Amino acid sequence: MATSSNGSGDSGNNVPGERFTGHGNEWRDSNLSPEQAQLATAWVETKVDKRAMLTNKERVDDVRDIMWELEKDGEIVVQRVTDEHEPVMVKTLYGWDKKVPTNRLWHHKSCGQCGNIPGYPSSVLWLMNQMNLSYLDETDQTSCTAWNYHGSGIGNVESLAAVFLRNFHQAYVSAKARGLPENYFYPLVHCGTSFGNYKEIRGYLLHSAELRERVKKILGKLGRLIDGKLLIPEEIVHYSEWLHVVRDRIKDMQQIDVSGVRATIHPACHVYKMVPEDAVYDDDVLGGNRVAVSTSVMDALGAQVIDYRTWYDCCGFGFRHIISEREFTRSFSMDRKIKVAVEEAQADVMIGHDTGCITTLDKNQWIGKAAGKNYELAVMADCQFAAIACGAHPFKIAQLHWHASPVQDLMGKIGIDWDKAKAEFESYLKDVEAGKVETLYDPKLMITSGPGFQQ
Amino acid sequence: MNHADSTRVQEYIGDPVSESPVVDYETLEEVFEDIQKDIRFDHELNGCLNCGICTATCPAAHYYDFSPREIVQLLWTENLEGIYDAMQEKIWACAQCYTCAARCPFGNSPGGLVMIMRETAIKHGMESAKEVLRPFSRVMLKLITTGNQLAPNMITPDHFPDWGPNISRVDAPLPLLRKAIPMPTMNTMDTAWEVNLKTSVELYTIWEETGVLDQLETMDENLFDVIEDIIDEKREELEEWEEEQEEEDDD
Repeated sequence: MATSSNGSGDSGNNVPGERFTGHGNEWRDSNLSPEQAQLATAWVETKVDKRAMLTNKERVDDVRDIMWELEKDGEIVVQRVTDEHEPVMVKTLYGWDKKVPTNRLWHHKSCGQCGNIPGYPSSVLWLMNQMNLSYLDETDQTSCTAWNYHGSGIGNVESLAAVFLRNFHQAYVSAKARGLPENYFYPLVHCGTSFGNYKEIRGYLLHSAELRERVKKILGKLGRLIDGKLLIPEEIVHYSEWLHVVRDRIKDMQQIDVSGVRATIHPACHVYKMVPEDAVYDDDVLGGNRVAVSTSVMDALGAQVIDYRTWYDCCGFGFRHIISEREFTRSFSMDRKIKVAVEEAQADVMIGHDTGCITTLDKNQWIGKAAGKNYELAVMADCQFAAIACGAHPFKIAQLHWHASPVQDLMGKIGIDWDKAKAEFESYLKDVEAGKVETLYDPKLMITSGPGFQQ
Repeated sequence: MNHADSTRVQEYIGDPVSESPVVDYETLEEVFEDIQKDIRFDHELNGCLNCGICTATCPAAHYYDFSPREIVQLLWTENLEGIYDAMQEKIWACAQCYTCAARCPFGNSPGGLVMIMRETAIKHGMESAKEVLRPFSRVMLKLITTGNQLAPNMITPDHFPDWGPNISRVDAPLPLLRKAIPMPTMNTMDTAWEVNLKTSVELYTIWEETGVLDQLETMDENLFDVIEDIIDEKREELEEWEEEQEEEDDD
C-alpha cells in the first residue's frame, strides 16, 4: 500500500462500518498526491494510447481461413463481396485485409437508431443518393436481438446465430423480388452492437460443427438455406467502415466549412473491442493507434479532431443499465465522457458511430444539472455530421430535432441558421399533413414479399 | 477497515462452516457444469495471472462491487460457492463493453463469461435474474413479438423524464414527426421500422426452436402467456393471408 503524500500513512478511509466497493475488499486508497498519481499512472497512459494494447496476444486466428476451408469441404456457402459491390480494401488491427463494399447495399437497420435517432440512418441513405449508389431498405428484417441479450440474458448463441443468418440470407435473396440475381445486395450493418455480435457469432459458427448443425435445422425449417447449406458472410461490414472508405467522395461533395469545429470521437466498444482483430486501422489516422472510422471522416472534412484521455472508455450505456440502472449510465457518461470532452478538449461536438452511445451521450446531459454537472456538448453520429457538411437539411434529413444535446450551438458555429431551418421544417410538416411527403426512395420497394408486396 | 457483519456468501448460500448450507453442493455443481458446458466457455477462459488489467479498465468496477478479474478467477479456480454468489448480483453489474476482453493478454473474455453466467442464472430461475428482468417486460414483449427492441411510442417524456424537455425540439404530434422521416420503413409508431408479418412469424420459429420462449416462461409466466397469445394471433393472420393468396391464384 502506498503512503499518503504527507507521509502519515493514514489513508483516512477507515471509517467504521464502511465497505469499499468496486475493487474487492482488499483494496485500499493509496492517497497519492495528484503529482504522484500522475507519475504512477503515466506509463499506463502511454500504453493505452497505443494500438499495441490490443495486439499483445499470442493466439489470434483469422476465422475467414476456417470459412474458406468449410466451403471447400462443401459444408457452407460463403456470401461473397463481389466486384459488383465495388469493394475497397482496408487493413484491420493485425494488418489483415478486409473488403468493404461501397455499392448495392442492403441496409440492416438498428432498432435504437430507427426508434430514437432516425436522422442517423436517413443521413446514410441521403449520402448514398448523392453518390448515385444502389441500395435496398426493406421490411423483411429483424433486430439482431443482441441489445436485449446483453442486457437481460434472454436469448442464447443459437438464437443469435439463427437471427443473424436469417437476416443475412434475406439480404442475399432480396433482389429476386425485382427480378435481379441472388447476392445482388450486400448487407451493411447500421448498429455497432449488431456488428460486434454478428462477428462474434460468425466465429462461433465457424468453430463449432455442433452449433452449425443446430442452426442449420432451424434455417432449414425457415427455407433459409442455400443448396441445403448455411450461408455465411465473407465480411461483416459496419456503415462506419463504408463511410470511412468513401470519405474522399464525401469531401468532394462538401459545401460547409467545418474547420472551426473541435470534435472529439467516441469509438464504440462493440465496433472495436468485440472481435477487435476485424476493426479497421489506418496508419494515416492518428498514427494507426486508434480505430480509424469516424476520425478519418472528420479529418477528411477538415474538422479539428481533439484527443482526450478517456477516449477508450465506454459511454455508460450498459444494455440493461440504460433501462434499469440509469444512475450508472448518467454518471459514467457525464463524468468519464462529456465532462472530459468539455473541460479538457474544449470540444464543440462528440462524434460517435453507434446507436447506444449516441443515445446515452446525447440524452443524459440534462439530468446532470441535478448533480451540479453543468456540462453540455452536442452529440451526433459521423454520418449526420458528414451529411450536414454536404448540404443535407439539419431537420428533414439529419433529423436533429430528436437530439437533446445542444446541437443548435454547433449548427450556429458552422453557419447554419437553426431557427430558419426549424421554420422550414415546420412548414414541411404542413405538407406532410397534406400527404405531400418527400422520401429517399420509392416506398414500393420496401416490401419484397408477403402482405403488401407489389410486383 | 471494518467489514459488514455478514458476507454475501453467508447471505446467499449460508454460512460456509455450517453443516446445512442453504444451497446444496449438487446444485452448485449443476450450475457450474451448465456454465462449463457452454460451447463458448473454453474460448472465453484461457488462464489468468491476476494481472488485473481487466478490472483497471472496467467501467462497472468504478461504481459497483464488481471485478472482472474476480469473475475469471472464480471460474478458473472452480470456486463453486463463489461462482454461485457472484450470480446473485455481481454479474448483473457488468456493462458488456468488452474492454476487458480486448485488453486481456490471455485472450479471456470476462464480459463473455458474464453472459454465460447470466444465461445460466436464467436457466436455474434464480431470483436475481427475475429481479433484473422485471423492468425489461415492455422491451421483451416488443422484441419477442415484433423483432424490434424499441418503438418510438416507448420513448415519451413520461417514460424518460430524466432526458429533459428536448426529447423533440419540434412541437408536433409524434405520428406526424414519424411520417416526416424520409425513410418509408420508419413511418411507424409501434415498431422502430415496419417489420413484415412473414418476418415476425419466422422469428417465432427461431424463439421456439432455440428455447428462448422456455427461458421466458421460467422468468415470467404472465409475460410468457401474453406473448404466446400474440404469437398465435400473428400466425393466424399470416395463414389467413396465405389462404387468400392461394384463392386469388386459383382464380
